[in-house]
Amino acid sequence: MRKILLMGSCWLLVFLLAWGVMAQEQFGGIFRWPSISDPPTLDPAHVVDTTSDRVVRFMFNGLVDMDVKTFKPIPSLAERWAISRDGKVYTFYLRKGVKFHSPVSREVTAEDFKYTFDRFLNPKTKTENTWILEDIKGAKEVIEGKVAALEGVKVVDRYTLQITLESPFAPFLSKIVLSNTFVVPWEEAEKWGDAFTEHPCGTGPFKFVEWVHDVHVKVERFDDYFKGKPYLEGIEFRIIPEEATRLAEFQAGNLEIVDIPFGMIKSMQTDPKWKDMVVIYPMLGIYYVGFNMEKEPFKENKKLRQAFNYAVDRKGICDVIREGAAIPAKGFSPPSLPGFDPTIEGYTYNPEKARQLLAEAGYPVGKGLPPITYWHNAPSKTHSAIAQYIQSNLRDIGVNVDINTMDWAAYLQFCQEGKPQMFRMGWVADYADPDDFLWVNFHSANIGPRGNYSRYNNSRVDALLSLAQEITDWDQRVKLYSEAERILIEDAPVIFVYWYVASGMLQPYVKNFEFCHFDGQPEFPHTPVEKVWLAKK
Amino acid sequence: MIYYILRRLISLVVVLVGMSLIVFILIFVLPGDPITAIMGQRQDPETAARIKAEYGMDRSLIVQYTKFLSRAVRGDLGRSYRQRLPVIKIIQDRFKATLRLTLAAMFIAIVFGMTAGVIAAIKQYSWFDDLVMFASQIGFSTPVFYLGLILILIFGLKLRWFPIGGYGRGGLRNLVLPAITLGTIQTAYIAQITRSSLLEVIRQDFVRTARAKGLGEFTLIRKYILRNALIPIVTIIGSIFAGLLCGAVATEYIFAWPGLGRAIVEAIRVRDLPVVQGGVFFMALVYVLVNLVVDILYAYLDPRIRYR
Repeated sequence: MRKILLMGSCWLLVFLLAWGVMAQEQFGGIFRWPSISDPPTLDPAHVVDTTSDRVVRFMFNGLVDMDVKTFKPIPSLAERWAISRDGKVYTFYLRKGVKFHSPVSREVTAEDFKYTFDRFLNPKTKTENTWILEDIKGAKEVIEGKVAALEGVKVVDRYTLQITLESPFAPFLSKIVLSNTFVVPWEEAEKWGDAFTEHPCGTGPFKFVEWVHDVHVKVERFDDYFKGKPYLEGIEFRIIPEEATRLAEFQAGNLEIVDIPFGMIKSMQTDPKWKDMVVIYPMLGIYYVGFNMEKEPFKENKKLRQAFNYAVDRKGICDVIREGAAIPAKGFSPPSLPGFDPTIEGYTYNPEKARQLLAEAGYPVGKGLPPITYWHNAPSKTHSAIAQYIQSNLRDIGVNVDINTMDWAAYLQFCQEGKPQMFRMGWVADYADPDDFLWVNFHSANIGPRGNYSRYNNSRVDALLSLAQEITDWDQRVKLYSEAERILIEDAPVIFVYWYVASGMLQPYVKNFEFCHFDGQPEFPHTPVEKVWLAKK
Repeated sequence: MIYYILRRLISLVVVLVGMSLIVFILIFVLPGDPITAIMGQRQDPETAARIKAEYGMDRSLIVQYTKFLSRAVRGDLGRSYRQRLPVIKIIQDRFKATLRLTLAAMFIAIVFGMTAGVIAAIKQYSWFDDLVMFASQIGFSTPVFYLGLILILIFGLKLRWFPIGGYGRGGLRNLVLPAITLGTIQTAYIAQITRSSLLEVIRQDFVRTARAKGLGEFTLIRKYILRNALIPIVTIIGSIFAGLLCGAVATEYIFAWPGLGRAIVEAIRVRDLPVVQGGVFFMALVYVLVNLVVDILYAYLDPRIRYR
């Protein structure tokens, strides 16, 4: 009996030890990550797309980062900061001992951030997203080429950087989470000029190895990363433009993560071989159909716009076309956005009410309505399917719309110039603040290319959104955004169709992969990749 | 012959200038400018205007085109608006991949297509002839995209015989599936044209005479029938070759092959004019040079053809 107990204890000990070993993080392995296209750039200053953003985020760092769960700004290369009472002066205290990758291999100082920001706004750099730092004092003069240095960025000492804004801007910290502000070493940036994109050098958990255009980008672990040595030996971003090919590569075990092709979410979720690998979560984005508020018949006809909103079966679109990977939108700001107001009801699917409002709008059963064209960009199976679905919903209440398409480059210009009556658009967060959704898309200062494609103009909403930018008290800001959102919904400058849901598949041996609900597939750029490890070599 | 070649090379210059002007005008009038496409949904109009001015996009069409031409004669095709890389480098890198795929696909097409076509012609009305005709029809009518995905599913995913996609991973094995995908339709074309071209020659009197005089079948086919049937076959091969060298977009997308076709389609999508311009320039060059080589081959194959 004693022998049996002793044997049993030994085996239990062996089992526990083995389980402990298996559960421990392992160093090593290459994470193979697909890219839909060749990144346009690896220079942080020129990032305007998620493909570049993801690779840049793994090679560079900025003053602040974003908490993957709360989306709040958290320390990165700045270990702490102070904001003046008037909300205009930000003082950042940098971490000591953070190193650039080779060949620079020296410590990052406040001077590097000054250089980075000056370079970003310098017209010779031809940066596309100057709006990110336009709130800084003196930004306009630098952008116009009148001066070379930002008046509002001051190096106090080796590890202290002070940034002064033109006026208080509450979302400033959220904005500088964007990878465009990530620090670059002046030695490499000056040496390579435009070619810095092919010789990126940052401070991130991974350093650049090679970029074979249209084939892959390879990065390898940076052992001296300030947050600790990453587990992965490297990452290979494989450029695979066709979604079916990406899925096949994942199923063959050649990728660690993948997006799910259009129309295949349900089959992956129900297939016993793959269902446990499927990941779905709500993200910060909205799909909407805009009305041109400066064109007939939507101009000054709120009831007509409301009628269209009631006519659309959002749940049907989400269930049938998006296979459940979408949330019927009740407003513009998505549920996971900080400050979201869950009490807002929004529009329901109510064809009866839609017909009633249509009649009140002066077009009973659609009689007298001028021809309406619904535009969307092509090619896209999703946009095409949704357009036809909405067309059918509108037909049910007596409204006939034509559908027309354009390729993206032409379509964007077309919308910016205010030409379409009704147009499909989407918005995904640049930074996790209601300002990014509401101010960009609905403030009258942004009518046209700046983002307000509906050309919506409401002085009350303008006032609320402008005030919310200036005050720093979060609860007060939330109240202002909530009021603005309610007015928007009432005015219905758009059809609020659905909030985005991200979906993807992850191999079971990938451990500690935290999906940030800010991100979409297949980039997932805000993943703290230094924590990811592979439970196999 | 030398004068003929020289004349063709001179006409190449005219063709290149003409093509580049047409493309320039088309891109110019096409809606959607490159900076808008690059900057995306949220743009500062003043910044966009400044960037356009830096690139000279605010100048007139004539000024922009003249500037382009003056650089092009020095071998400088400009820089991509999107990636800021020299266009020459973009074309060079992509062309290597395209050439590799084209040569592999042409190898398959010529070997299998011509062999099948010759046998089908010699054994006209046999089961093999019927099989070749049937298979050719399948080859013509199967979309490249569909064939590629089927090959990936069967040979890449189920059987794991070949890599699914990618370039330069696993060496020649990476070439097999994309080359078969691309080569299938070309095999069908070449098989058909070989068969009909041979049948035309086989029916001629000299062939009957040669047979009657006791000439061996193999020698007859190799030295007389095939040689006389080659002109249309060489024409189609030249045309296919030139076309494939300019990129096979669908195949490149499915197999993640970094070819020239994909690069140019992507450049058109974002209105990256220097890349589109440079790519079309290059395609025109390829077409003219390949056609020149085909014309020279005609003279070699058929001594009756002489160029002045």
